[in-house]
Amino acid sequence: MPQLEVRNLVKRYGKTVAVDDLSFTVEPGRVTGFLGPNGSGKTTTMRALLGLLRPSAGDALVDGQPPVAMGDPLRTIGAALEATAFHPGRNGRNHLRSLAAAADIPRSRVEEVLEMVELSGAPAKRRVKGYSLGMRQRLALAAALLGEPRILILDEPANGLDPQGMRWLRDLLREQAAGGRTVLVSSHLLSEVSQTADDLVVIRDGKLVSQGSLAELTASARSMLRVRATNLDELAAALREAGAGVESEDGGALLVGGLDGERIGDLALGRGIAIHELAPQQASLEDRFFELMGDGESGGGGEGE
Amino acid sequence: MKLAKSEWVKLWTTRTTWTMLGIGLLLEALFAGLFTGLVSAGELDTMEEIATGTGLLMVLMLVLGVLVITTEFRHGTASSTFLASPKRYPVLLAKLGIALLVGTLAGLAFFVVNGGLAMPLFEGRTGRLPSAGDLAAVYSGVIVSFALLCAFGFGIGAIVRNQVGAIIAAIAFFFIVSSLPELLPGSIGEYFPAQALGALHGWEEGDGTLNQVGGGLVLAAWAAALTAIGTALICRRDVSD
Repeated sequence: MPQLEVRNLVKRYGKTVAVDDLSFTVEPGRVTGFLGPNGSGKTTTMRALLGLLRPSAGDALVDGQPPVAMGDPLRTIGAALEATAFHPGRNGRNHLRSLAAAADIPRSRVEEVLEMVELSGAPAKRRVKGYSLGMRQRLALAAALLGEPRILILDEPANGLDPQGMRWLRDLLREQAAGGRTVLVSSHLLSEVSQTADDLVVIRDGKLVSQGSLAELTASARSMLRVRATNLDELAAALREAGAGVESEDGGALLVGGLDGERIGDLALGRGIAIHELAPQQASLEDRFFELMGDGESGGGGEGE
Repeated sequence: MKLAKSEWVKLWTTRTTWTMLGIGLLLEALFAGLFTGLVSAGELDTMEEIATGTGLLMVLMLVLGVLVITTEFRHGTASSTFLASPKRYPVLLAKLGIALLVGTLAGLAFFVVNGGLAMPLFEGRTGRLPSAGDLAAVYSGVIVSFALLCAFGFGIGAIVRNQVGAIIAAIAFFFIVSSLPELLPGSIGEYFPAQALGALHGWEEGDGTLNQVGGGLVLAAWAAALTAIGTALICRRDVSD
């Protein structure tokens, strides 16, 4: 059974549809990247998985049950949602202490997580008001880790982290997944996720665009062949006739999709065209991402985030 | 109990609580001292004078009760609170308990400050002390009223959620709107918070029929009803800030 499951989830705010019939699963032992532009419904979906908002339709399930039914919540799910959700007048340590008290977590664990996120010592005694964005992110992560939960749900945890912090975060996520935990981490930046994630769930406008392993997604990126030849116009026409997708590239070459090299060579030979170059063009994950996101990315999805 | 402990930590780890109680008690001491010390000795005969200075603390109790719940929404900490307890009503019960407790403690602090300051002054100037029974009635009325005012504010806060809005609503409803029915004929007004508070305190000259216990029960019923509505609303609403 998947530890996190979203099944036909719909969330409406008035007339705006923030999440639209979304379904996906998140498996333990892997880092799942939750990718989509700002406003695509990532935060809304995560909040539904945490029981903070009720779906308009469909289900958000933890261990096959609605999150409200969770026993021992902080040891089941740890979440970091927003880096701003602290009382500005309370210091970091006391924020964690108040949460620890709610789940009978010993105070020594508070010190432990403060140490882990490098906020022990003076920063722990400082009121959150005086924290940088990076420090707030780390405090939010400390709160998520407090109960040593089986499942981690992190919303844009890399925002505001310096490169060192990003690296630390990546290692942490990998380590958590390696320990058999379930990790769902959202981002609007592909580069961030592609370095950590095993699986990707890609959404846009509250709808699922794609789910799969990072390797599958890269492999499914359409591969093209770059062709240079003596009579490009004639070759292009012949290729189109044979059902290929053809684009002209600057500098006298064609990008051909949907036909393999053999067929292209045969077609050229049949028309007496000499081929000068025939090379595979592997699309990057980034190309694939933009392909999935379509053109003219506008965000959309309303107030979901 | 776990949740109550969590709320207890939250309450005392911001300066707001300390500042409000500190200023409230300081001003209370000032009022009580000035009043008992300066008013002509001949007029020092009712319990009302002894209880001078409760007014500001009563408003503060109402506000403190409001803050117990609204800060969570104002600063977005409601999310982490309800992550630790996805079932929300136990959190609200814990908060109600903490509101009643902090009100009671403030009432006890009032007793210490007022008793320690106004009583000796009263005795020094009039050469007598009110009867022990009168004193017990006044101080217990104050302590219970502080606790119930906190609970009342908490109920309004849970319904309104917006901090400033809830503070205004609580004060306006308690001290203004709910005293309007007094103007109506009959005893309807007694069943509204403002007059019920008067009955609970018991030192004011009133023409009401409720005794202290009756006034306390009416006030408690209001607090309970508001809290029940607020809890039901919070259990239903989305937490998205």
